Amino acid sequence: MGVGGASNLTEQVAAIIDRYPGGVKMVDSIEFLVAWARANSMWPLIYGTACCAMEMMAAGSSRHDWARFGVEVARATPRQADLIVLAGTIVEKMGKNLITLYEQMPAPKYVIAMGSCAISGGPFYYDAYSVIKGGDRLIPVDVYVPGCPPRPEALLYGIMELQEKIKKEGRRNPWKIGDILTTPFIDTHTKAKKDWVILEQKKDQEQQAARKQFKLDNPDFKPAKAVRLKKEKFEAIKPETREPQGISNLVLLQKIQLQFPKISVSPQEDILDLTVPRNNYTDLIQFLKQNDELGLDLLLQLSAIDWKDHFDILVHLLSTRDGHKLFLRCRVDKEDPEIDTISNIFRGAEWHEREVYDLFGIRFRNHPDMRRIFLNKDFPGHPLRKDFEDPERVIKRPY
Amino acid sequence: MNLEPVNNFNPDEGGIPEGFSRTSSATKSSEEYFLNMGPQHPSTHGVLRLVLRLDGESVLGVVPHLGYVHRGLEKVAENQTYLQNIHLTDRLDYLSSHINNLGYCMAMEQALDIGIPERGEYIRVMICELQRIQSHLLWWGVSGMDLGAITTFLYGFKERELITDIFEELCGARLTMNFFRPGGSFADVTDGFIPRIKQVIEIMHKALDEYNTLLTGNIIFQERTKNIGILSKETALSYGCSGAVLRASGVSYDVRKNDPYSIYDRFEFDVPIGSIGDCFDRYCLKIEEMAQSVRILEQAVQTFPEGPYRSQQKAVYKLPKGSYYSQVETARGLLGTYIVAEGGPKPYRVKFRSPSFSNLNILNELAVGHKLADIVTILATLDFVVPDLDR
Amino acid sequence: MTENNMNPLSTEMLYPVQNGIGNMVRTLFPESAFIINSLISICSLFLLVSLLPVFLIWLERKVAARFQARLGPMRVGYHGLLQSSADGLKLIFKEILKPEGADTFVFFLAPILPASATFLVMAILPFDHHLQVADPAGGVIYVIGISGLSILGILLAGWASNNKYSLLGAMRSGAQMISFEISLTLVMLLIVMLTGTASLREIVLSQQGTVADWWIFKLPGLGLIAFLMYMVSSTAELNRAPFDISEAESELTGGFATEYSGISFAMFFFAEFVNMFVSAGIAATFFLGGFLAPQIGVAFIDPLFAVIPGFVWFFLKTFFVIFLYMWFRWTFPRLRVDQLMYLEWKMLLPANLLLLMSGGFFMAMGGIL
Repeated sequence: MGVGGASNLTEQVAAIIDRYPGGVKMVDSIEFLVAWARANSMWPLIYGTACCAMEMMAAGSSRHDWARFGVEVARATPRQADLIVLAGTIVEKMGKNLITLYEQMPAPKYVIAMGSCAISGGPFYYDAYSVIKGGDRLIPVDVYVPGCPPRPEALLYGIMELQEKIKKEGRRNPWKIGDILTTPFIDTHTKAKKDWVILEQKKDQEQQAARKQFKLDNPDFKPAKAVRLKKEKFEAIKPETREPQGISNLVLLQKIQLQFPKISVSPQEDILDLTVPRNNYTDLIQFLKQNDELGLDLLLQLSAIDWKDHFDILVHLLSTRDGHKLFLRCRVDKEDPEIDTISNIFRGAEWHEREVYDLFGIRFRNHPDMRRIFLNKDFPGHPLRKDFEDPERVIKRPY
Repeated sequence: MNLEPVNNFNPDEGGIPEGFSRTSSATKSSEEYFLNMGPQHPSTHGVLRLVLRLDGESVLGVVPHLGYVHRGLEKVAENQTYLQNIHLTDRLDYLSSHINNLGYCMAMEQALDIGIPERGEYIRVMICELQRIQSHLLWWGVSGMDLGAITTFLYGFKERELITDIFEELCGARLTMNFFRPGGSFADVTDGFIPRIKQVIEIMHKALDEYNTLLTGNIIFQERTKNIGILSKETALSYGCSGAVLRASGVSYDVRKNDPYSIYDRFEFDVPIGSIGDCFDRYCLKIEEMAQSVRILEQAVQTFPEGPYRSQQKAVYKLPKGSYYSQVETARGLLGTYIVAEGGPKPYRVKFRSPSFSNLNILNELAVGHKLADIVTILATLDFVVPDLDR
Repeated sequence: MTENNMNPLSTEMLYPVQNGIGNMVRTLFPESAFIINSLISICSLFLLVSLLPVFLIWLERKVAARFQARLGPMRVGYHGLLQSSADGLKLIFKEILKPEGADTFVFFLAPILPASATFLVMAILPFDHHLQVADPAGGVIYVIGISGLSILGILLAGWASNNKYSLLGAMRSGAQMISFEISLTLVMLLIVMLTGTASLREIVLSQQGTVADWWIFKLPGLGLIAFLMYMVSSTAELNRAPFDISEAESELTGGFATEYSGISFAMFFFAEFVNMFVSAGIAATFFLGGFLAPQIGVAFIDPLFAVIPGFVWFFLKTFFVIFLYMWFRWTFPRLRVDQLMYLEWKMLLPANLLLLMSGGFFMAMGGIL
């Protein structure tokens, strides 16, 4: 039967049957039956990257229940799936996996792009360096369900639309792998915007005659006046001040300066923000961790800021016992940025340091596993640097 | 874009996947092999990828690979105005998007010296607690499903939808709320808000009992979770864990209690802590947290005040030069928002300290020595959200 | 009756279909009656095997939906009755993929084995007094022997797929099924020991009388324990939750069937459900009086029940057991592989042996029959 994914043999058999009286009807009815079966039995692949996956799960929950359409047999392996719902953002690193998943599915296979990320990159269309601007740049998409995220009802409607599409398939309109846009990062929005303006103009021209006719028919018609909403007024309120938790900043500073006299302070109201010299960096953190009196036992985060001429390494510590926090900054030069690791003191720093290495390009001496954490090995540059530019991947915000 | 496979390792030819040289502590026996789990795998809750070193079914090492949904959120935030960035926080940990909004707004309020009226604070607390319950319900359902009890998934979602309805009535969104603003929220609560919360409280009391009957009390479930993935207090602190993962190991740190924000210090609630930090502790703790959230809601419903719901707001905010930090307790743990401002309408740098990132870091410590199936249990009770990990 | 069974050429053996059709054929074509009757029975069995999974899958989905406060399939046919037909048809017309490096012959042979094994066991299920394709004297041994074939199919599937998940699933499944087969056999052995026959029909007939004569209610308490043990070990034997470690979707994605698509997956899928029917049928035969109508000792109802044909009772009892299987599946979490082995070797097996011994004790005392 000419229904998608048919081998030559079935095509030939169908051609032979066609020649006999009633043969065409017979082949047609088998085609109808197969298309009906395919439309009503779409097994989705368990695939969801981000927020939309939650709404996809909600579509399977008791209230929305996509089982009514026979979709509840969610398969974890692509070999048994017919439908892949692109729920969530697709990033560059996931791209090749998605293509593999699609290729592993047996034909005929269908794709629903759910949510604005899978349609166009959504909120991450501009400035994001890793987001692929739409699933249809990697694999062919059959149905687009807009929304951020779409409601489960919208996904169910998308499934019903896909069913309608499948039911039309047959010898004359066989299933085939659709077209894809070859460049994952190209800007389509600007062109679409131009097309949209032209389309609007066309529509206006087409409707002009109708408008004139309407005015002739209803001479008394007056369009409703826009009503201005009453603007509520709110007063500005001063916030209540709350006592900072734990050991006071003054005591903290005194204790630290007793040990490390060279440390200076950048004033902050409730958090102590210290600027640490490079040579004291690891020693100080070691001291803070081991000092029971200060009790700074939890590493909140380790991050960096790019100040254009130099980097600042930020280390945020917290005391789970008393609740006070301590922020440290350490300057790192722009040329050959390198600093000692603290992953031997706080083991959680290991991933934070890898993140800083990945996004800022600051290396950490003696780090046990200095690899990129988020981006592909061959990603050019370090995106959180202020001078990062990659016209191939990043679409600049036009405003 | 490079679409060639990058992690092509062949153990037969002596190849070892990335990151494994250091985790290999066992001597190389002939039974040893590597197994790739994810990024598309039902129990990695999205697109986390794990590479396991196994001996038969026993786990010798785990290396998580992140970045399969790294969207460069922090870079995008640098190019948007402060108010535009609120919606980005929704997409961090989408299961506690209200709480993420709150964290970001609090950092801005701190910078601009904005206060919130009484009613606004009540709205914030109530919504955040509803969000916590909602997130835990989803977690409960999904972790039950990971252990093979598929019905829990549906039961969790059943009650979750009620809370989603409240959110939908409030702000029109079911998942990505974008509701809070500096100085309150963008809209007042609707008339149905309090009655609906009362209904949720009533239903949650019954539902929690039902959950305990269905899953907690089940002997198979207890066998699967008890003494699995034991996390010591020292390790948890050293890795910077937070939330239920930290508390299950015996450290009583809840931002709501130890560093109160909004008006959490006016409500009575307990911070449950675990004893040994195994999967069962983490599980029970989350169930108990739901009960405590219901307790907060009960108190808030009774004293819900009238009055303005927000203070004066502006269309464009310019934060004075400096750096601002706020922390909130999301359903997953401690979310820190760090904003560096240079005076303009856009932030110079925004850094989110996401709870899942630190919580997942301990996976290798927990998994080694257990069976393959226990990885799933451990992942389920660590309760991470992948976009929160990757940002 | 026992003497009759000893004769290998009894009429019942030669002419399995002893109902209206069978007798009609016998009178019309006395020469070739044996062949025609066998053909009829094989064809009807084949029809049953192909229709049963369609219905069972629908039932499973509907029962699951009920448990989960949903509706389940609704759109295809009345309350989604045609849903599994659509699934089956779709799977037949789907592309069949073979992973790179797979052993082609074994890869495509594997799904046939479980499917044919279930078909073979169906042949000796006593649907009614004279509705049984064959009733070999060693029926129980035949059942146990044949069910080993499906293990072979799963093992081959896992090995041939060239996928670590498949292999892990197959190895788990092999270990699990071989272990639980022991306790399954021991439970069957208890009944065989008590009835003194290994023919399934004879076992049913040994439960004649009232409901209290069914093996589940006999041997004060022990019968019920034996039934429960059968349920546990057969659930494990069927690879169904809470013992579905070989498929364990959340761990092994698809288990042994990870690489199977289209019709070859459908065979695994369908065989699973027919297997469930066979297993439930055997439970009904051994413990619930098979095709016998339940006689509860009330003069008003008993004749009413006796009028209803035996196969209706057989199907009712079988579907009751199937419902139990479904109930298990949609309630319990999954066991871990080592816990499963612990359950079998350290708990079920000793308990089974104890049961067998106490059964022997009862028999020696002569207090049960």
